[in-house]
Amino acid sequence: MRNAYKVLAYIVAAEVAIQAMVMVWAIAGLVKWVDGGGVFDKSIMESGATPFTEVFGIIVHAINGTFVVPAIALVLLITSFFTKVRGAIKWAAIVFVLVVAQGQIGYLGHEFPFAGALHGLNALALFSAAFYTGRRIRTAASPVVEEQPEVQAATPV
Amino acid sequence: MVIHSQRPGSGVETRGRRMLRVVLPVLATVAIVVPLAWMWQASRMPAAYSVMEMGYLDYGGHGQDSGHSHHSEAARSVTELVAEPARPADVRVDLVTRQEILKIGGRSIAGFTVNGTSPGPEIRVRQGQLIEVHLRNESVAAGVALHWHGLDVPNAMDGVAGVTQDAVPIGARFTYRFVADRAGSFWYHSHQVSNPQVAGGLLGSLVVLPPSGIAEQVDVAALAHTYGGVRTINGKAGDLRVPAEPGRRMRIRITNTDNGPMQVWTSRSFRLLAVDGTEVNRPTQVSDRAVTLTAGARADIETQVPADGTAVRVQLSKATAVIVGPQSAEVPVPPQPGDELDLLSYGSPATLGFEPAQAGRRFDYLIGRRPGFVKGRPGMWWSINGHLYPNVPMFVVREGDVALVHIENRSSEVHPMHLHGHHMVVLARNGVAATGSPWWVDSLNVAAKESYDVAFVADNPGIWMDHCHNLKHAADGMVAHLMYEGFDTPYRIAGPADNRPE
Repeated sequence: MRNAYKVLAYIVAAEVAIQAMVMVWAIAGLVKWVDGGGVFDKSIMESGATPFTEVFGIIVHAINGTFVVPAIALVLLITSFFTKVRGAIKWAAIVFVLVVAQGQIGYLGHEFPFAGALHGLNALALFSAAFYTGRRIRTAASPVVEEQPEVQAATPV
Repeated sequence: MVIHSQRPGSGVETRGRRMLRVVLPVLATVAIVVPLAWMWQASRMPAAYSVMEMGYLDYGGHGQDSGHSHHSEAARSVTELVAEPARPADVRVDLVTRQEILKIGGRSIAGFTVNGTSPGPEIRVRQGQLIEVHLRNESVAAGVALHWHGLDVPNAMDGVAGVTQDAVPIGARFTYRFVADRAGSFWYHSHQVSNPQVAGGLLGSLVVLPPSGIAEQVDVAALAHTYGGVRTINGKAGDLRVPAEPGRRMRIRITNTDNGPMQVWTSRSFRLLAVDGTEVNRPTQVSDRAVTLTAGARADIETQVPADGTAVRVQLSKATAVIVGPQSAEVPVPPQPGDELDLLSYGSPATLGFEPAQAGRRFDYLIGRRPGFVKGRPGMWWSINGHLYPNVPMFVVREGDVALVHIENRSSEVHPMHLHGHHMVVLARNGVAATGSPWWVDSLNVAAKESYDVAFVADNPGIWMDHCHNLKHAADGMVAHLMYEGFDTPYRIAGPADNRPE
């Protein structure tokens, strides 16, 4: 269970990194497309078409943010109930709350663009929290994994 | 390796703690999973269902007088609601729908055609004529149904799969008969799997001329549509050139067939002659203003070819324009105005033909967005009066009623609201009363945080959709219905005909 918990926490952190990457990828594609004379407005946005490839960044961001990350955070929270480590539930809950807040702030950005800035800031908080949540768990296997290479390196050939 | 140290305490206490350690996580998990599973299960739709069984009845403050059931005893079927069955047709139109690859702006795009083209043929008739459209579906796999957007046709002819008819499968036919009872600019489009089918071009223009014709010398219908990201007018990428002599007056009938609002502006002053097929009363000249044309809406713009040999541009968004003037006459792209024409105060007041103050029904249509499950899918979904699909309101009226609807967009995105079978007149926006020409709409742009008070006369019995014309939103459940007491539909959503109106 600890392994699952640790992996899930790291996946949340990795997902935050992916979210940041695909969004900037999409914006870069948009800027390049507009630079080439393209018009991006509500009709194009809602047409379901992909006028430039990087639109997939927005689609991935939306699917990840709405479904995938909340689902992983929820499974992490449930896993934490069975992880007999002090603070595991607390940190899973912090991650979960930050994920929920991140989604709400993101949608709020549709109305108040400044919320988008907070969305970016909260992403850093979420990344840090998720990364720490994974890192603070010492699994039964990890000491072995950490020690073995050292032993091997120290052994003269 | 984990070493458990023996804690002090009695054996009973330790066993109790162990039990708790096992039970508490399970209980916490159950507390999270069970409500989610229940919500998921409750949102799943049966294999076939009637819109009459969906959601809850809203009598608009009027006493509930037809029992608790949506289905009243001895209800009339909407299939009876047809146009003058004994009258021969004045105009016969044959339409064949196909699923094929479209060539748009040098690109190949999977889409749909009507009589071999997209958009389909422009149907142009005179007011008062009885139109008979013979539809044959040749190859559209999901089936088709044609909706006459903006014309208040009899309910059985409204073309909504699963509500007023079954989707027409490949090889089958359906005949639409209706009287073009009002002059104006309209359009037709599929209302079966409407989001992909409309996006794929299963649509066309429908123009009804007044018996005496129109005053303008140039009359052009311009359907703006985006095919796979390519902006077009009447199916051609780029600008539409219309040859005309200097000094000619023109009426450009613009239809926005996309899912989002579009701005329209011109290179010289213009008048907005009509909105959604209804003439504006005493429209004045406009300059430095753009007209916001919401999804599904139409605007008739009147302007004049300049006398100096140049052309006039009518911009349909920044991307495309109708250019009218002598052959090869040029005109620079006019800058997009920062302000939009406010229809709340445009034109001059006139009588409405009914008294909104005497409304017997008052409905709320409050749009929100919240997390939940729709059709078994988790997500952030549009809500109507706080409810998610299918727990949407069924607004109930009786023939002859005057109804008021308070439409309020509490979400953060624009919604083009479309009521079938009726025209709504705008009474107020954000509480500010309308002072201009009667502003009649069938497709209303309700921006984020805006509210509208509209009124309509219940003069067209049946069961009607009242939905967002961002068809993606409709497919995600942003659909309510309006029903007249004493009517029922034999059609079902899904079921053997696989009716999927959105």
